[in-house]
Amino acid sequence: MENTNREHVLSIRDLSITFKTGAGPVNAIRGVNIDLYKGETLAVVGESGSGKSVTFKAAMGILASNSIVNSGSITYTYHHNDGSPATVDLLKMKTKEIRRHINGKRIAMIFQDPMTSLDPTMPIGKQIMEGMIWHYKTPKKEAWKKAVHLLEEVGIDEPEKRMRQYPHQLSGGMRQRVVIAIALACDPDLLICDEPTTALDVTIQAKILELIKRVQAERGISVIYITHDLGVVAKVADFVNVMYAGKIVETGTIDEIFYDPRHPYTWGLLSAMPDLDTDDDRLYTIPGSPPNLLHPVTGDAFAPRNKYALNIDERLEPPMFKVSETHYAATWLLDERAPKVEMPAELRARIQRMTKEAN
Amino acid sequence: MEERKPLLEVKGLKQYFKGSHQFTVKAVDGVDFVIYPGETYGLVGESGSGKSTIGRSVIRLHKPTAGQILFNGMDISGNMTSQQNQQLRTQMQMIFQDPMACLNPRKKVGEIIAQGLDIHHLYKNRAERQQKVAEILRKVGLAPEHADRYPHQFSGGQRQRVGIARALIMDPKLIIADECISALDVSIQAQVVNLMKDLQEETGTAYLFIAHDLSMVKYISDRIGVLHLGHLVETGTTEEIFNNPVHPYTQSLLSAIPQPDPRTERGRVAKTYDYKQAGVDYHLGKRQHLEGTHYVLATDEELARWTAKS
Repeated sequence: MENTNREHVLSIRDLSITFKTGAGPVNAIRGVNIDLYKGETLAVVGESGSGKSVTFKAAMGILASNSIVNSGSITYTYHHNDGSPATVDLLKMKTKEIRRHINGKRIAMIFQDPMTSLDPTMPIGKQIMEGMIWHYKTPKKEAWKKAVHLLEEVGIDEPEKRMRQYPHQLSGGMRQRVVIAIALACDPDLLICDEPTTALDVTIQAKILELIKRVQAERGISVIYITHDLGVVAKVADFVNVMYAGKIVETGTIDEIFYDPRHPYTWGLLSAMPDLDTDDDRLYTIPGSPPNLLHPVTGDAFAPRNKYALNIDERLEPPMFKVSETHYAATWLLDERAPKVEMPAELRARIQRMTKEAN
Repeated sequence: MEERKPLLEVKGLKQYFKGSHQFTVKAVDGVDFVIYPGETYGLVGESGSGKSTIGRSVIRLHKPTAGQILFNGMDISGNMTSQQNQQLRTQMQMIFQDPMACLNPRKKVGEIIAQGLDIHHLYKNRAERQQKVAEILRKVGLAPEHADRYPHQFSGGQRQRVGIARALIMDPKLIIADECISALDVSIQAQVVNLMKDLQEETGTAYLFIAHDLSMVKYISDRIGVLHLGHLVETGTTEEIFNNPVHPYTQSLLSAIPQPDPRTERGRVAKTYDYKQAGVDYHLGKRQHLEGTHYVLATDEELARWTAKS
């Protein structure tokens, strides 16, 4: 893996975060490791409450004030303007420094709801220019030109006219395009998209994803998608991390996760996704609901919902078992002493059909 | 099949909203469809296509500008006597999109569910009321003890179950489910959809299922209507729509559904459909019959072009 000359951009090691709440401490992130290399696309999949957003909020330095980082590091590697590389631990930086040097300029984030991430009292042109002027001291005229160009790039027609409009005058898809333009304004090398299309219609969703993909290819930036929609993941990602109850339970390339999933939770997620070709009467569901992290988890957090759970799952937390160079899964089923368990028959049939279609 | 008497008939429904003197929003512009007892009719379309407006007009939250809505043969689009109103309010129920916003946070779940019973005096004594609430909670997959909890103590999926229980306790003939799974996670969505299907089998309730997610609509609906800009552009059984979509808007909707298959997904570019560029005027089109119950809104010339291509 190391010899392929891939350049690290972000590397999260052993991250653990606890929230202090009225009901007691909630251990939301329980030891997360994530690697991202230059120019690649990473997707983090999980149900709500699995901690996928919190992980990257930590990287942006925008965690809620009641959070405590117990351990871990988030190292981010970037290049100064003269080309010399620099590596920083984002968790050790002061908030002020992150805002000054990282947020917007190096790492930009796109949020779920474009209406709440735009300022309703400011024309959109001004919002796009704001970051450039603050970070790079770009003269106003130049910033205006660049903003118009950006709006064109994200596929908004009549950009000169739009610059003077307010967010409420735009449709949902347009607003999300503006948010993307703002994110791109300071030429970041890393774009974090937190559920970028959940609030949008399917037709607009496809267009926005195609837009982010195109921008990524043109600029050679790295992108992280945080989502619960496996259809989105299939469309855009190179690598997938499946997250459950504050831990990564399976990681691998997109083909490995979709065609050769090993963790029962991934099986469940894939089976629950409706497929237009199957005619089953019932959708597959993962029984139960995610664990409440108020209570400390012993053993495998997924065990209560897992019909393949082994005896050991209730006592010991499974380590990451290696399936291939890039594919790891945290389930005792991969231990050599475990009984041989196959993925559900319907899922197997679907994967076989998909691979047949692709050939 | 055509012999059955429809439960709900919507004829030429128009719903306009006056913005100002010069400007009127035509949210729904002449829509016809029928729902038979015990079936599920899926209404799909992008945001702003008027699908929620139709749901709200049907349940009399809006007064229709023109057109007729018949429920069980009774006209419910105009003024009604209070007796008719009462009857309608027990027989038609609604499930909303955001389960947190539609449950009163200061009331216990048991009170929320029983509110309809209280208003319509549908029980003889407290014991019967309690028993009814417990029964409905068990039906939607919750425990009777949950009646003493508040909405915030539930997860999103459980809250939506409460919303379903509240609608079901009145034993309605028609439930309008307005985007009732859009706010939920994928795995929870599947649970709720399965629950709704089970309940339909048990109680024989009809659903008007409003959603923008075609893949979920496919699972639950018997028939589908595709809505765009206030016009019903294509309608038919689920198989007809999915196997042979004729209208370019339906085709673009179908092509935009993400598939859990990276190899086909990577190369695929969704079809775009732009009303202005396509040169289609919905006002000129009329309902053209294709086969079975499959209708499409088109002029003769458009129909010839669309069917020729496929």
